[in-house]
Amino acid sequence: MLKVENLESGYGAMQVLWQTELEVEKGTITSLLGPNGAGKSTLLSTILGSVRPWGGVIYYENQDITYMPSHKKVGLGIALVPEGKHLFPNMTVYENLMMGAYQKDAYARSRESLDTVYTLFPRLKERSWQMAGLLSGGEQQMVTIGRALMTMPQLMMLDEPSQGLAPKLAGEVFETIEKLKYDIGLTILLVEQNADASLGTADYAYIMHEGKIKASGTSEEIKNSKDIREAFLGI
Amino acid sequence: MLLEQLSGNLIQGVVLGAVYGMATMGLSLIFGVLKVVNVGHGAFVMVGAFVTLFFFSSLGLNPFIAIPAAFLVGILLGLAFYYAAIKKLLNAPELATLLATFSAGVLLEETVKMIFGSEYRGFNWDVGKVDLIVTALPMSKIFAALGSVAIALLLYVWFKRTRAGSAMRSVVEDSHGARVCGVNVDGVYAMSFALGIGLTVASGVLLTMFIPVGINPYMGGGYTLKAFVIAVLGGLSSPYGAFFGGLVFGLIENTSYTLFAFIPGVEPFSLTRFLSFLILLIILLIRPTGIIKAK
Repeated sequence: MLKVENLESGYGAMQVLWQTELEVEKGTITSLLGPNGAGKSTLLSTILGSVRPWGGVIYYENQDITYMPSHKKVGLGIALVPEGKHLFPNMTVYENLMMGAYQKDAYARSRESLDTVYTLFPRLKERSWQMAGLLSGGEQQMVTIGRALMTMPQLMMLDEPSQGLAPKLAGEVFETIEKLKYDIGLTILLVEQNADASLGTADYAYIMHEGKIKASGTSEEIKNSKDIREAFLGI
Repeated sequence: MLLEQLSGNLIQGVVLGAVYGMATMGLSLIFGVLKVVNVGHGAFVMVGAFVTLFFFSSLGLNPFIAIPAAFLVGILLGLAFYYAAIKKLLNAPELATLLATFSAGVLLEETVKMIFGSEYRGFNWDVGKVDLIVTALPMSKIFAALGSVAIALLLYVWFKRTRAGSAMRSVVEDSHGARVCGVNVDGVYAMSFALGIGLTVASGVLLTMFIPVGINPYMGGGYTLKAFVIAVLGGLSSPYGAFFGGLVFGLIENTSYTLFAFIPGVEPFSLTRFLSFLILLIILLIRPTGIIKAK
């Protein structure tokens, strides 16, 4: 579904990604692991187009989307749940969700999408008239994932969705991700610091370090490789 | 006597304040969406005043017809300025956009001076007065205030009810969040800048109703300063906040002018300006988010 070849990018004069190769198969959860500053978030931002690629190619459903502006990529079905949430704090939960249905196609089917979101997160329905800025961290993360669902994605990229949440809530986030795959049929690219939980839900995993992909394989392979665990994951 | 004069000032202040508020909405919109401070604000107001002069004196038309024309001139100027300079400077240090908007203002002043000359040109649109016992208000000022309120309401509805309006609100709140929702953020920047300049130039039409001495190409400076105070009063990034900030400022200006005039030997006009900046300083120190809670 998504294929990244030789991708390079960075900020200003600082190169972050070096010849990155990555593939996400349809209907799977692919986990991207690695320490802070490895370039995981930059890779997601480059795929979405909020960071401009310096070189390489990004294919989505066999279409070259390397230099496509991000709003068109969202229209194609690529969604990003960004690190740090980036909600609209002075809008209600409902308004936040409806912003996800900003594009015409998504808006036309926003009623169904809203049902899907409220089924997944019944709490959001209760809170729909509250300002997003006043919600708890766990509820805000629900809004962020819900808002991404409202764009009617095929591929959802999540950047550190369990960051800053209490262990119980973090566990719920991983349960949600499995529901996104099994109940809604999404393909997931998941960036996480929490290697154990991430490998537990993922089908495939990539290890990133200093802007390069260092290892990849099925989650089982990564989990069982003592070398990889010791060298990159510290678990 | 003093009470009568003050209540008269209250009315004058609200009328002037509504126009001040409308004249600051463009500045706040541009700051809210692009985080660019338009230092050339007053020059765009001046362009609007000259559009009015052209419609009223040269064409002999009702100056209110100049409002849509000035708005359109502003939209075009805004788009040209955005694509020629601002777009390329958005990621540069803030000083870059300050310099760009400042030089754009100077360029506008000199261009208008080449066309119309630098002497004051007065015009008087006399459509009668209304006697309100404590004070008398020219109809032209009342029309200007009503026009300002109408434009502010239109903008409010546009923000709340249209797709483009909600896209702008989302960019004000969180531009990265807007991007992941599929909003064309670069397009919103261009549109907001054009709309902001359009509103500013249109406000020049309304402000001319309050200028007894006439207009000239360098009239804008005072409006830039006032707009900064008003924008800060209203919380900087909210156009509605700016509108209410304008009302407050109109009241302060009118009242302080009257009160200062009672002190012998004092020049009330300059002291009022001093007071404005004192207020600005105090607000920035104690409530940098603005005194008006507007969403």
